[in-house]
Amino acid sequence: MADRFKLSVKNLSKAFVTKKDDTLVIDDISMDVRENEFLVILGPGQCGKTVLLNMVAGLLKPTLGEIYMDGEKVSGLDKRVRMVFQKLALLPWLTVSKNVQIGMKYAKVPKEQRERVAQHYIDLVGLQGFERSYPHQLSGGMKQRVGIARAYASAPEVLLMDEPFGQLDAQTRYSMEDEILKIWDKDKRTILFVTNNIEEAVYLADRIVLLSKRPAKVKDVFDLTGLPRPRDNLSEEFLRIRQEIADQMDLDLGQ
Amino acid sequence: MKKHTFILRNFLLNLLSFLSLGLLVLLWIVGSSGEASILPSPYEVWTKFLALSEDPIAGMSMLGHSLQSLRRVFVGLLAATVVGIPLGTMIGWSERFRAIFQPVFEIIRPIPPLAWVPLISIWCGVFEFSKYILVFIGTFSAIVVNTYAGVNLANRDNIAVGRMFGARGVRLITDIVFPSALPSIMAGLKTALTTGWGVVLAAEMISANYGLGMLVTRGSDSNDIQLVLVAMLLIGLIGALMSTAFTILERRLSPWRTDLN
Repeated sequence: MADRFKLSVKNLSKAFVTKKDDTLVIDDISMDVRENEFLVILGPGQCGKTVLLNMVAGLLKPTLGEIYMDGEKVSGLDKRVRMVFQKLALLPWLTVSKNVQIGMKYAKVPKEQRERVAQHYIDLVGLQGFERSYPHQLSGGMKQRVGIARAYASAPEVLLMDEPFGQLDAQTRYSMEDEILKIWDKDKRTILFVTNNIEEAVYLADRIVLLSKRPAKVKDVFDLTGLPRPRDNLSEEFLRIRQEIADQMDLDLGQ
Repeated sequence: MKKHTFILRNFLLNLLSFLSLGLLVLLWIVGSSGEASILPSPYEVWTKFLALSEDPIAGMSMLGHSLQSLRRVFVGLLAATVVGIPLGTMIGWSERFRAIFQPVFEIIRPIPPLAWVPLISIWCGVFEFSKYILVFIGTFSAIVVNTYAGVNLANRDNIAVGRMFGARGVRLITDIVFPSALPSIMAGLKTALTTGWGVVLAAEMISANYGLGMLVTRGSDSNDIQLVLVAMLLIGLIGALMSTAFTILERRLSPWRTDLN
């Protein structure tokens, strides 16, 4: 019943072919994402989470399987889907405002409207006053806010977030987690959020899809909608769920 | 406190630069003193420089000769830039283009520009056009190679961002790949500028009716070492000024770059 979901991934596999051998990275993954759901994909490091997300983004072609949006099959890049990148990836030669406007620029949105929308999201992520700054003048947390504003500003229906807080220090990370929930609460979108951090997953998710180590398969799905927000990461319930997931999660022991 | 240390350090560094220049002049004075010295003193060279403005060579002031040499460099360099940057971009971007052009390019590249002089004099004569061609040949490869390297190594993340947010085809290259490659392209242009300046002077020394290189040859032929030194100093001075101007321009053009300060 694919058409009941915002986004559906059906039997997706990805193998990388090299001269020496083929490496299977994603092994027959299926999942459904509800409209405006905050879905976290949790898996150990190097398990192929980014590859999975890049396929949903249309940046990588699946070896097998299909992706559906609103029940319709999609392939390649789709303007309803936008990504917040792991490595920040702001364009260093553009100001904050121009970075945020980039998606609208290629969608041929008139300049005036572009600036207005950009300002709205710059304000939403709390960067007013930095519109004309260049990325190198910002801290890591601020850069990631720009990345979020940029993704939001191009009006996507599905937002993909690839370990967006992975490179931030712990303190900034906690505050960005609150920030993203606040933004999502004010301006609901369907979010696919990838992380290798169990605590972050339990703190943010409506549902968690747990992946195995490489080649990645779906190990389990956890529904956390019963756990009210804001969540207390020291509460008994939180710690219980965290432990339950940790017991099932594969370790990333290299190779 | 910190700011003061900074200013003091800058002052000391500038002082060192002045001292080294002073030392060069001092060596020159020492080397040119004594009855048997064939090297003219700084004073004699300065006198010669002043005399030249009263009695111009080939009906042209020193400024005129300098401007002629500069014009030749800029025409040749402009042509090399206009052809070289798009070609370098295509070689860097498309595997097919690379397969076609790289081998040809790698063979032509090591040939020194002046080795082309005989062929070019036969094809284009010895006057203006041949100078432009020589500068073109001398600067073209630095521009192409640096553009190619810059485009080829253009940040993959930037390209993914461009594609994700809707940049396609030519826009992807002009808006994303090109700015990513800009530091490398600018480095290529800077090398090309210095090389081009050297090439034009060498070409002028071989044959020309005006230009700083021609003055060197003229001085040598007429045993006028003062003239040779005036020309040499102007060449050095103008070269250094161009380099500095280029660096300032580069900083203006790319305010986002932190590696230029």
